[in-house]
Amino acid sequence: MATEQGYALPPGFSLRETRADGSQEYFLNMGPQHPSTHGVLKLVVRLDGETVIEVVPHLGFIHRAIEKMGENETFVQYIHLTDRMDYLSSHINNLCVCLAIEKAMGIGVPERGEYIRVMVSELQRIQSHLLWWGAFGMDLGAVSAFLYGFKEREKITALFEELCGARLTMNFFRPGGSNADVPENFLARVKEILEELKFSLDEFEVLLTKNPIIRERTLGVGALSRERAINYGCSGPVGRASGIDFDVRKHDPYSVYDRFQFDVPLGKNGDCYDRYMVRMQEMRESIRILAQAMAGFPEGQYRSKEKASYKVPAGSYYANVETARGLYATYMVSDNSFKPYRIKSRSPNFSNLSAINEMSRGGKIADLVAILSTLDLIIPDIDR
Amino acid sequence: MGIEKAKSGAPAAGHHDPDAQYLASLLGEAGALGGLPPIPGVAGSGGLTNAVDWVVGWARANSLWPLVFGTSCCAIEMMATGASHNDWARFGLEVARASPRQADLIILAGTIVEKMGSRLITLYEQMPGPKYVIAMGACTISGGPFYYDSYSVVKGADRLIPVDVYVPGCPPRPEALLFGVMKLQELIRKGAWRNSLTPRPINHSPIKDEMSETARLWEEKEKLKQEGMKEAQERFKAENPDFKGVVIKRIAAPKFDEVARTVRPARGVPAADMLAILTERFPALTVQNVPEANAEKIAALGPEYVLDVAVGREDYLPFITFLKEDARLRLDFLIELTAVDWKDRFDVVVHLQSMEKGHKLFIRCALPHDVHPEIPSLSELYSGANWHEREAYDFFGIRFAGHPDLRRLFLDDDFPGHPLRKDFEDPSRVVKRPY
Amino acid sequence: MKAYAVNHPIGDIVRSLLPAPWAAIANGALAVAVIAGLVTVSAIFLIWLERKVCAHFQARLGPTRVGPFGLLQPIADAIKLLMKENLRPRGVDNLAYFMAPLLPITGSFLVLAVMPFDHNLQVVDLQAGVVYVVAVSGLGILGILIGGWGSNNKYSLLGSMRSGAQLFSYELSMVLCLLLIVMASGSASLREIVLSQQGTVADWWIFKLPVAGFLAFFLFMISSTAELNRGPLDLSEAESELTGGFHTEYTGISFSMFFLAEFVNMFASAGLGATFFLGGFLAPQFGIGPVDYALAAVPGVIWFFLKTYFLIFLYMWFRWTFPRLRIDHLLSLEWKFLLPVSMANLLLAATLVTFKLIIP
Repeated sequence: MATEQGYALPPGFSLRETRADGSQEYFLNMGPQHPSTHGVLKLVVRLDGETVIEVVPHLGFIHRAIEKMGENETFVQYIHLTDRMDYLSSHINNLCVCLAIEKAMGIGVPERGEYIRVMVSELQRIQSHLLWWGAFGMDLGAVSAFLYGFKEREKITALFEELCGARLTMNFFRPGGSNADVPENFLARVKEILEELKFSLDEFEVLLTKNPIIRERTLGVGALSRERAINYGCSGPVGRASGIDFDVRKHDPYSVYDRFQFDVPLGKNGDCYDRYMVRMQEMRESIRILAQAMAGFPEGQYRSKEKASYKVPAGSYYANVETARGLYATYMVSDNSFKPYRIKSRSPNFSNLSAINEMSRGGKIADLVAILSTLDLIIPDIDR
Repeated sequence: MGIEKAKSGAPAAGHHDPDAQYLASLLGEAGALGGLPPIPGVAGSGGLTNAVDWVVGWARANSLWPLVFGTSCCAIEMMATGASHNDWARFGLEVARASPRQADLIILAGTIVEKMGSRLITLYEQMPGPKYVIAMGACTISGGPFYYDSYSVVKGADRLIPVDVYVPGCPPRPEALLFGVMKLQELIRKGAWRNSLTPRPINHSPIKDEMSETARLWEEKEKLKQEGMKEAQERFKAENPDFKGVVIKRIAAPKFDEVARTVRPARGVPAADMLAILTERFPALTVQNVPEANAEKIAALGPEYVLDVAVGREDYLPFITFLKEDARLRLDFLIELTAVDWKDRFDVVVHLQSMEKGHKLFIRCALPHDVHPEIPSLSELYSGANWHEREAYDFFGIRFAGHPDLRRLFLDDDFPGHPLRKDFEDPSRVVKRPY
Repeated sequence: MKAYAVNHPIGDIVRSLLPAPWAAIANGALAVAVIAGLVTVSAIFLIWLERKVCAHFQARLGPTRVGPFGLLQPIADAIKLLMKENLRPRGVDNLAYFMAPLLPITGSFLVLAVMPFDHNLQVVDLQAGVVYVVAVSGLGILGILIGGWGSNNKYSLLGSMRSGAQLFSYELSMVLCLLLIVMASGSASLREIVLSQQGTVADWWIFKLPVAGFLAFFLFMISSTAELNRGPLDLSEAESELTGGFHTEYTGISFSMFFLAEFVNMFASAGLGATFFLGGFLAPQFGIGPVDYALAAVPGVIWFFLKTYFLIFLYMWFRWTFPRLRIDHLLSLEWKFLLPVSMANLLLAATLVTFKLIIP
């Protein structure tokens, strides 16, 4: 069985000879349809009993050719395609494309527009982490957690719907600000949501964080050292759990993130528990940012003067943001036209997932599930 | 489509409960309801078999166990439908099965691409009958936002497996999905597929040219529409001789002022200093768009400027090794590695960042426009480069010498050509935008 | 060996109508039918209850559309599963694949044969009832093992291997807990065990043996959860890891057999818990005259069901609250913690019984 469903397995990836005691290694196909791969990721796992020896991910089951399509759409039209990559950070993805266009064309953003961007991005981060928390619980067998996470997330989704008419694929930000102003009761709604969220987060801590089974299943599982994490290009909560002190909001600030006081939670061992804790703390930090943004929310215009056309001067432009999953970058090449010559999105999940073999080696199948869960994968973001 | 079918098939009475109607028909004339004939040769079988049919239909409609299947964005809305706020358990759907053997319903939540197509067919075949399919979202109905220009998206899941109910939206709201489920229940209760154990046809080749046929149909419809419009306009003019035209009032778009862009200086080692360090070791390198670059010229580009250098193919690997190991630079983090097709050459583009100091450096290396141009692999230096290089190989056909496992990353091995090349043409897959 | 159902007034009516050997057979069949009917209806009700309990734990409503409060939901599920195509996946071992679903449900129904539902409602009262219960409940493990083996699927195989390891291990501490009660009550007959708890609530074995009784009940609940393959110890199913574990390849009626067996098993297990620790069909007595009189007026079978359903609710509570354990943690929990503790507990109980330190 050197090949498997027509896929050449990597060199050296074949069944070992039967050992002296008569036992043999075997392959297990996880995915593309598997409840814990969170989409259509396929992992070919080489197992010795239940112990994982090697994991080879197979990608492309949701490769939708977004980059090729981008070459045939205008720069502003590309924004809506980024919604469909990391759909849990769609606002932040949109922001990244807008930042690149603004950089290329020298478009400024008014104060109110910047505050809207920061607040909406942070709300998005919280709702993404809430969904992750629920999915994490479900992957580890605590199904109720999934619904608790969704219950909280639904409030933020409803707010987004009021804001831009969509619950998931927002397409809200534009070069120079946003598509529309915030609704009148926006601040009051955010305040209400945050009050409830603080209470729920405390509950979540009791339900999962302090649960001995969770601790036993995550502590020391799937550890990734700082050096290896950097080498793999891991970013976001995965990188920070390994101790990489890197958060684009802090270390390469965009929008008005440099005005807010917030900490970047860091882990030590880079195991599942650290990744879990980093995300839990990140939600509280986001609440902190939101509280500050609400206090200083300015009046005025939410968008700068619209350009007659978005013809980007020739050259290559790069912008990066911190999505809920890490460093997201847009690299666009223009040949002085309305459409990008080449547009590329750097997705954080792509690099984070590439470390999975190293993380899960030597663990059990159940550990692999915990690792996949704490990587917080969005497969369409990897495949694009 | 599916919903339309459900509507047209429904009794003319309107919004009455189909179950109640059905029962009434059973109690009255046996087999009065259309579409459910008695067993041939068995006298009086109509009412009895109809009663059994009704019970079975009722059970099947109220016990739809969905398969855990979600490919992209719609999956989140599908989960939201299952979550506390919408709770599909009310309809008996909460027993989501991970194994297709126990599922009755696939909710196609998200885009189906060519590589997934064969897997989807397998999943469908693994399900025991009767089985139902709901196409959720624009992508599974027609390809949706990925209809044009995409070389991998299957333009409508019904090209692969038979779909019963279509739920439009991008993504559809949970309420829309629930509505779709209720429509499906209605179809099942009405016994739309009495012999549903017989599998309906599966199409194994999603690639076909139906654009010409569609265009022809479209033109025909347009022609009809135009004729109808013309007629209506003439009639309207004859009836209202005084009509001058409609006055359209537009709401004025809000006027915004210009705002100056705030420029944030790049972090870490300044670009000019970096250039000095680099030229000291590699004098042959050039800076992109800055001929004969020197410190003043670089400084004039503003504090935001990130140094973008071009190196030759021979210098490529030593250069990047130097960048990673030099104590002043320590560019240890590979942001991305990709390529640009310039029609006469390829540029391999590498974006590096230093985790300690925070500065970035963009590197590009020109390659000839061959079928498989070759460049040294960076996977020894950066483990993360492994997949980035596989991606570049997949999209552009660039070979990376010394790569441990150079296979296609996203596309099937038998995919013809490298899609992100500018000369990539595949009319069987790609539908070109007509405007 | 006494067949109590035969002594029931209905038994007398049957005896008056039929000659002796036929009457015995008819009475036996009658008793089996009553118990099987009772438990099957109960299992279907349990499926509904589980969905409702789970929904309310998760801030949802659960089934509401089918019948009043969604009560007909499990019936719809049952009819649908019966009417579903029964596939035979390629490469399965025919005998193993089709026989496996029958074993767990047989095992759990056999346990019910000795279950004392009431003073006069028991199919058969074996002197070695406890031994019998332990023996026939092993059939369930066998069903899961050969089902996983026969399915020709790696997930199934992994699931069944897990459950084999898990169930054999947890059987030990469960048996030790039951043994403790057998020792204290001086009988292995389930009916005798219930009758040994006559008196007030304090005479139930959970309270009667100081510390040891409660500890045994606690250990029994944990190990029986593992025996039942229910969350948080549902490693053989482990949906997020193994997609469905041992029943991944089962469809339609074969799957529904596993599904039903889970609930009948849960009923049997909770019934055992009620019988051994909570006084079985005995009404709770508090030593307050009028209250006791009123409580004793309620038929024993209702008390039995109330106690059983209370324990079932506990099982459901566990399932929808805790995350799943990992297989090696699960086994070390048994071998390194539960087994030593239950052994020590047995020793403690032996001391208590020997020195008559039982609460009078």
